[in-house]
Amino acid sequence: MTDKDLANPSQATEFGLRSSRRQWIGSEIVPALTVFAATALLVVGMKIANPSFGSFEQITAILVTAIFLVVASFGQGLVILLGGIDLSLGVIIGIGGMMIAEWTHGSNDALLYAIPLTLLCCLGIGLINGLGVAIAGIPPFIVTLASGITFYGVGLGFTAGNSQQPVAPAIQHFMSSRWLGVPYPVYFIVVFVVIAWLFQNRSAEGRKLYAIGSSPGAARILGLPMAPLTIAVYAISGLCAGITGILLAGYSSSATLDMGNALLMPSIAAVVIGGARVTGGSGIYLGTLAGALFLSTLSTVITTLSLSQGFRDLVQGGVIIIALLLQRGRLNLRSR
Amino acid sequence: MAGDTVRNRRKALGNGAVAAAGLLIVMFAVYASHQPTALTLFGVGNLLNNTIVLALAATGLTFAILCGEFDLSGPGVIAIANVVVATTSAGSLGAAGSFGLVLLIGLVVGGLNGILVAYLGLQSLAVTLGSLIACQGVALLILPAPGGQVVDSIAYGITGNIMSVPVPALLLALTIVFWLLLRQSRMGLAIYAVGTDQAAAGLSGLNIRTTKLFAFVLAGLFYAIAGFVFSAEIGSGDPRISDSFLLFMFAAVAIGGTSLFGGRGGVLGTLAGAGILTVLQKMLFALGVADFYTNIFNGIIMILAILFGQASAYLARRPERRGT
Repeated sequence: MTDKDLANPSQATEFGLRSSRRQWIGSEIVPALTVFAATALLVVGMKIANPSFGSFEQITAILVTAIFLVVASFGQGLVILLGGIDLSLGVIIGIGGMMIAEWTHGSNDALLYAIPLTLLCCLGIGLINGLGVAIAGIPPFIVTLASGITFYGVGLGFTAGNSQQPVAPAIQHFMSSRWLGVPYPVYFIVVFVVIAWLFQNRSAEGRKLYAIGSSPGAARILGLPMAPLTIAVYAISGLCAGITGILLAGYSSSATLDMGNALLMPSIAAVVIGGARVTGGSGIYLGTLAGALFLSTLSTVITTLSLSQGFRDLVQGGVIIIALLLQRGRLNLRSR
Repeated sequence: MAGDTVRNRRKALGNGAVAAAGLLIVMFAVYASHQPTALTLFGVGNLLNNTIVLALAATGLTFAILCGEFDLSGPGVIAIANVVVATTSAGSLGAAGSFGLVLLIGLVVGGLNGILVAYLGLQSLAVTLGSLIACQGVALLILPAPGGQVVDSIAYGITGNIMSVPVPALLLALTIVFWLLLRQSRMGLAIYAVGTDQAAAGLSGLNIRTTKLFAFVLAGLFYAIAGFVFSAEIGSGDPRISDSFLLFMFAAVAIGGTSLFGGRGGVLGTLAGAGILTVLQKMLFALGVADFYTNIFNGIIMILAILFGQASAYLARRPERRGT
């Protein structure tokens, strides 16, 4: 994949032209805004077609179900920003959910140590991924694929495949209750999004990630701490997957080892739809967020219209390819 | 000059494939020593039946990876092929008709992937992720729940014997012959050249776009055949059953010593990789290791194979540097 710039000359010259940071962020925000607009259009369109849709209740319900993809896709987005990919994400989500269910056994007593311990384990898996990529120099695709398979096996070994203890009531309560009429998860999303945005697009560390992702060679010459940053990014991805697992277990009040698998592909799709290149170095957090919200809304709309799941998949797949085509059109337009 | 590079790289790939084949033989020996029936015709036929779907699917994936592109659409094509065979083979289309339809599906999906990647310059990982999800959707629309019926002539024909040779063995042999012919052909060399150094391949007059399109179409066709054989084995349709294939397809390719960056590796290694993944499960079962631990071994073998592949590629390159 080193010849990615050669494959797309317009892209290569474009990096050279980017001088100021403001200009760069400015051009990257277009796909994010487009996807936000598409999401809004989806909601408004549904409202026109079906007036009972689009109430405040329903919007917050969409946001509550969007929380999983929003959290998971942040980690995936950071990894993709570095030019990597995290295929172990689905398995880590499952492991996170299983751990929190296993340790809390339906009571709140253990929560105080169960949550940090669960998150620590998920972070640890991410750390192993990071070590494999940064220190051993194995392609990210292989490392995360292998660690996913391996830890799935470990999870199966510990749980014998079928234990689904009830999750601590406090987490279930968090996912289903409201404060001032707004569900707790919505507050959580807002806080999470602000932190994620500040980290990816407003911090020095975030800038370094863009530098590494767009040109690892140049970043090395600049003396950026490549290995620590790479390891940290994979660890963050594991951590986000762990948080997703805990939330998902709380939402469905039980956990299975497979429950995260359905989020793996959408987490990559959200990043791609948001305008990032899977080869790294481009895309902004707002794009990833927009992609995650769009996919979640689409899912809800298709469920509301009682269309089959097959139709949902078909549309999702089509949306990814359309987003890529639009992205290409945008790049060509600018390089002209 | 590009030819020299290609030849050197191909020397390096030999190591990965040879190592995988060696590991396969050792594992098979361990398995056979604990399971005497393994060496009978029935045992070998059974093993081949278990391997052939993964082997065909991973072979398709190898073509795309060799020219430096990812292809995630395999399980999607297999899913469509499976539900199409399950819904049409017992009807008016018959066995041959459904096989033709399945090939057409593979051709269309592979062709679309190829056009989007090669001619429109889109990122292959993202494009084929889209086509994977879309194909799975189409499969669900054709057959929303597991069911359907694969006609007996397919089910028994594919899993049976022709002149006491198991059909999967024939398919495997055909795949190897096809690969050996392709590798010697102009197109085969072009695939390696494009995967090794796209710019150099383009400058030396190879058509990069046609080469990539060819690789994706070939991949689609192999996925379709894999889906057809898979249908014969399970005897019915299930739109969701192939979801877990993706990881194992990539695992087979990686274990077989094919570089995910393209230009290095080959189908023989992939076939050995698919064999390793299948024999591993049987070997661990014969050794009395609980079923779910096989996943752990799968993961560890993948990592070890990659590290070994990297080491052998490094060793293969060193004398070359010293010489120049």
